[in-house]
Amino acid sequence: MIELIPHIVNGLTLGLLFALIALGFTLIVGVMEVINLAHGALFALGAYLAMTTIGGDWFGSSEFGVWWRELPLSTRYALGVVAGPLLAASVGMVLELCLRPTYGKPPLYGLLLTFGAALVIEELIRLIWGTGEQSLAVPRALNGAFFMGGLIFSTYKFFAAGFAIVAIGLVWLFLERTPYGATIKAGAHDSEMVRALGYDLSKLRLLVFGFGAALAALAGVVMAPIWGLRPHIGIDVIIPAFLIIVIGGVGSFWGAVLAALLVGLSVGITGAYAPAWSMLSMYLLLIAIVGFRSRGLLGRKSALEN
Amino acid sequence: MRMITLSDIPARGGSPMTPAMALFMLALATAPFWLPAVGLYQYLGIEVAIWLIFALGFNLLFGYIGLHSFGHGAYLGIGAYAFGLFQQEIMVSLWGGLLAAILAASLAGAVVGAFLSHRRGIYYALMTIGFGQIVWFCAIKLHGVTGGEDGLLGIPRPDLVVGPIRYSLADNYSLYWFVAAILALVVVALWRLVNAPFGRVLQAIRQNETRARFVGYNVWLIKWLTFILSTAFAGLAGGLFSMAQEGAYPDVMSLHQSGLIVMMVLVGGGLVSFWGPVLGVILYFVARDIIGGVTETWLLWFGLMFVIMVITRPEGLAGLLHVVGARLRKKSAPGAVPVRKEA
Repeated sequence: MIELIPHIVNGLTLGLLFALIALGFTLIVGVMEVINLAHGALFALGAYLAMTTIGGDWFGSSEFGVWWRELPLSTRYALGVVAGPLLAASVGMVLELCLRPTYGKPPLYGLLLTFGAALVIEELIRLIWGTGEQSLAVPRALNGAFFMGGLIFSTYKFFAAGFAIVAIGLVWLFLERTPYGATIKAGAHDSEMVRALGYDLSKLRLLVFGFGAALAALAGVVMAPIWGLRPHIGIDVIIPAFLIIVIGGVGSFWGAVLAALLVGLSVGITGAYAPAWSMLSMYLLLIAIVGFRSRGLLGRKSALEN
Repeated sequence: MRMITLSDIPARGGSPMTPAMALFMLALATAPFWLPAVGLYQYLGIEVAIWLIFALGFNLLFGYIGLHSFGHGAYLGIGAYAFGLFQQEIMVSLWGGLLAAILAASLAGAVVGAFLSHRRGIYYALMTIGFGQIVWFCAIKLHGVTGGEDGLLGIPRPDLVVGPIRYSLADNYSLYWFVAAILALVVVALWRLVNAPFGRVLQAIRQNETRARFVGYNVWLIKWLTFILSTAFAGLAGGLFSMAQEGAYPDVMSLHQSGLIVMMVLVGGGLVSFWGPVLGVILYFVARDIIGGVTETWLLWFGLMFVIMVITRPEGLAGLLHVVGARLRKKSAPGAVPVRKEA
């Protein structure tokens, strides 16, 4: 049992990171009933943009560029963490504008449009940053490893997991404790009523999509030092995000967090016995859970079922 | 403007001899003669024909009964591996290999379909992704059986044996004729199927599953059978594909490829017309070769084209042709109501 502890810890951190990845996805599904297949591409885009901001290559050898590269890495990293998601959010908003003609049609069309957008973003990344594997620089304070109870743990993974907890908490507070969150949830529940009360629903949708894209990009920035950066990383990301919202139940915030922890734990624990097969466990978990509970753990009825 | 669907274009029961069918058969029979002349090559014809079998079978599920599978590449892959393993482990035989491919894929389809068939909508799509990923993952990890990420290499192209006649399929020219003949059979069979009462039931289930059940149809059974049928066609296509490639590789099973087949069927207008998948597959492969010859980032342009298509004309190419055709007919008919320019 004792030898399982590092795997359980690993699984829980992985689960928190999965929750971070799924956060923006579940927000957009829950509020707009759009399956955003471009989520993974936005994740990659955010990470690449943050990497470029941190490296400062695009500023060239101008005075600003030289000054920029002389800033301490931690400052540049902090700015990159902000800039990546902001830029990705603007891409997400453009995507929402493209999505408008698909509202009111079968959900398939939104899904297909975002699939096409994912292809386009992925190819753009390939065009701009090349196909090779790249890495995102991290400040020294976050690097390295530490010992605890005779076991070795990576500092960055703990930082990332802590970051995920903070992000999940903030998003929850935003949705539950602010008037904006109330409007967003009301828009998901009864869009006609929200419009009748004088709220600008199209602006709301634009903001929600931007917010979801920013969360995807944020997850990308945090995950990039762990998973590395490849143009097709989006597809590795969209799958766990998918599984998590299905297991958790479409539109349920805590369902998604719970499902992410379960998926992380199952991957972590099976990793102890059969490392090569550990990723399979999440699909088996999906079939086991959705086989018995058709709407996932905490799901409610959704227009997407028809 | 209201979107049109498959049910708006009247079914023509009885004879499959329609102008579209004649055009299709003509193109199929003459392709080897004009393909090189327009700057394309023989192998492309084989590839398109195989993907047409896959896409037409897939549209039975996607367009007709309205169940959105995003993991269908898995069954193409299973067919390909089954064909290859049959040649390598049991015996070199064309019919045996194709039969093994169809049986393996439809068996997998029967198991997966049993899990899926009481669902619809997004949960159906998500479950197909889940199962598709499991199959893809197993294909990569089971090195001993599938050769892992390298795939199964050196699958022979067995001779075609019909009674006393033996005909070699080793060159692409003769393989094309074989694949084209199978495709022709598949097209006629599927045409009869979707225009038979069975095809009408499929469309009824797409439009309103609950009502179809009240009318007395066993909806679960029909959904299950349709899934198996479409996986059988995928398996057949997979067997032919491994013969054409002389190998079976896991990449056809990836989510990416499964998404591409959905894209092809939709761009062509599989939701609107029986011939939609045909247009979509041809458009995809021609775009790949022509845009791909100009720029390496051809998927960027194809993706953009697809996005614009979904925004402006979600019924796809076939829908576009139908609308244009209907408008032209109205215009030329004497005394017809004048058609508004914009709509």
